[in-house]
Amino acid sequence: MERTGAEILLNTLSEEGVSEIFGYPGASTLAIHDCINETGIRHLLVRHEQAAAHAADGYARATGKVGVCIATSGPGATNLVTGIATAYMDSTPMIALTGQVTTGLLGSDAFQETDIIGITMPITKHSFLVQDVRDMASTVREAINIATSGRPGPVVIDLPRDVLAARCNDDEEGGGGFLEQQEIHFGEEELRRLKQIARLLNESERPVLLVGGGVKLSQAFTELADVIQKGNIPFVTTMMGIGSVYTPNGFNLGLIGTHGTDLANRIVHQSDFILAVGARFSDRTTSVIEEFAPLATIAQIDVDPTSIGKNIKTDISVVSDIRVALQELLGLVTEKKREDWIDRIDRERERIAKEGSDDGCGPAGECIRMVQECMPEKTIAVTDVGLNQIWAIRSWKVKIPRGLITPGGLGTMGFSVPASMGARIGAIDHEVVVFTGDGGFFMNIQELATIGFYNIPVKIVVFNNGNLGMIRQIQHHFYNSRYRDSRLSDLVDITEIAKGFGIPSEKVAAEDPRKGIEKLCGSEGPFLLEVVVDENNYVYPIIPPGKSNVEMIYGRSE
Amino acid sequence: MKSEVKEHVISMLVNNRPGVLARVAGVFGRLGYNIESLCVAETISSKVSRITSVSKADPAFTEKVKKQLNRLVDVISVAELEDDTSAKREMMLIGITIDEKNRPELSRAITMFGCTVISMKDSYCILQVVGNRGDVETVLNFLTPLGVKDIARTGAVALESGA
Repeated sequence: MERTGAEILLNTLSEEGVSEIFGYPGASTLAIHDCINETGIRHLLVRHEQAAAHAADGYARATGKVGVCIATSGPGATNLVTGIATAYMDSTPMIALTGQVTTGLLGSDAFQETDIIGITMPITKHSFLVQDVRDMASTVREAINIATSGRPGPVVIDLPRDVLAARCNDDEEGGGGFLEQQEIHFGEEELRRLKQIARLLNESERPVLLVGGGVKLSQAFTELADVIQKGNIPFVTTMMGIGSVYTPNGFNLGLIGTHGTDLANRIVHQSDFILAVGARFSDRTTSVIEEFAPLATIAQIDVDPTSIGKNIKTDISVVSDIRVALQELLGLVTEKKREDWIDRIDRERERIAKEGSDDGCGPAGECIRMVQECMPEKTIAVTDVGLNQIWAIRSWKVKIPRGLITPGGLGTMGFSVPASMGARIGAIDHEVVVFTGDGGFFMNIQELATIGFYNIPVKIVVFNNGNLGMIRQIQHHFYNSRYRDSRLSDLVDITEIAKGFGIPSEKVAAEDPRKGIEKLCGSEGPFLLEVVVDENNYVYPIIPPGKSNVEMIYGRSE
Repeated sequence: MKSEVKEHVISMLVNNRPGVLARVAGVFGRLGYNIESLCVAETISSKVSRITSVSKADPAFTEKVKKQLNRLVDVISVAELEDDTSAKREMMLIGITIDEKNRPELSRAITMFGCTVISMKDSYCILQVVGNRGDVETVLNFLTPLGVKDIARTGAVALESGA
């Protein structure tokens, strides 16, 4: 059978299980759009290419499947860049298809030509320029394999216009060129190291598990919960680790690091053994590295050798798929009560509760709790960046795997609304709630048109304080309250804008949101709830720059 | 934290495809790892190239760079070659004009150092020197006062000794 490059591309994606693509057409990619419907793949037309990348990212994070986006050459491709970088930082499996000028024009500064492979090299796991239609199928398979295996990440496939239009018979297709991805091997050496980790863990008196985003990526949810239960091991999570494990018994000490809880940071500081699982010890997790967990022996399990010892000196490590390692570890961990340690944590928890030092999310945090109460348990929360993000990850109690989606690594404002579209399209059985601020909301506001057009039933909560709230908080504490360039004003009527896009909306005060929340949760289709927040409501505790995890600030200085 | 800076020879096998050198160079560039010399050529398989790089850096930094190189999809293997377990050579081409004055010294040097004359046009000749870096530099130092016009040198190529 003779097919065009575009048909081979789409058929191969379909064979690999891709059923949705988020994108925006242009002259270079028309050959693809021309036949997309015939291949059974659904294309969702966004209103800006950045949103296509975030939607594919949200789709992948909500489902665990690879997310796919497409943009034309030149500006279409460059508009994907922020979305690709976001996916790279949080290790999302993603394929970004970009149109390219015809191979004969490559390097000639042709209309809408840009070297997208060169531009994205530092923010992709790998990239391909398909120069021969016979390589199309094998390239697509290889790209998906790379994007989803080991430590996942985004892969760009650059597609010259003439290669998409070229025809080729099935028997002409090159089967070669397929790179064997090195399987992560769990052998004797790994087992020996894991046994050593288990021995240290069993002997330790005050252990803490540090759970990172890698647990989600390797789908090790139950394995992790089993280890925690068997060994009675308290755990903290990084921002990307939130939602990896749900235990109702108080072992979850919460988020660690710059925006972490007083409890998590203090307990880690007192622990004598830390086992990091799929976490890279980013600066947001450790703050001042020399003062991080000064009493602890540090062990690390990660699939990516470059993550081991990258930021912190580890005493012992295993390079392994996390799920495989945790399965093995379960057999090696001894059942232990650890009464002294658990008592000590409980006492600390009571003290913190009495002092209220972890209650620093204000009325917005209360609002988020109320939203969660009236939504189904399987709801996925998607956050933007800034105060809304910290309020949400601190107040939303994640009860399902993949229950919270946040752009932790890159901190991309404007992520939440487009990512929620992808999440809702992918995870069809789940409700999706967005928590964003006015700043991030404006950054991809055009996607309300996409949401309205496809009637994607996402619930959007915009915390409107008329400011870049987190910047304002930093200016308050560390720039002597000089609020330069962080005021956005309250001149824009967000609810009217939503209505203009055909999305029902309501405006409430953060102190009295019940009525609006009921409407939000009760709506059939998409809904936008604007929650007006006082500009002086910040998030506490926080750790000042250059300070350790136990030198927190608990409230406003007047 | 002070650490000792020493010479590191990294030998990589990579897929022989367009853009692979750019990816490898990108890792060096992003991490700020300075390369003293770099050599790239096909191996016995036309699908695989060997890249040999020489750098002066501290060992922990070099370890970090090796891990990042290993993460590239097109990199098949990364090894660091130590002096006592590998053979290492580089080559230099030296362009020099022969005249009445330098002829005797030049002839002596060619014999003494075992240089090969690989081109001779009018009175301009090109000499080839092969050896370790010290050997090559000794020859250059000897010839410089005799009027060296131009040189081109490869970086080190190296192979592990013993299979």
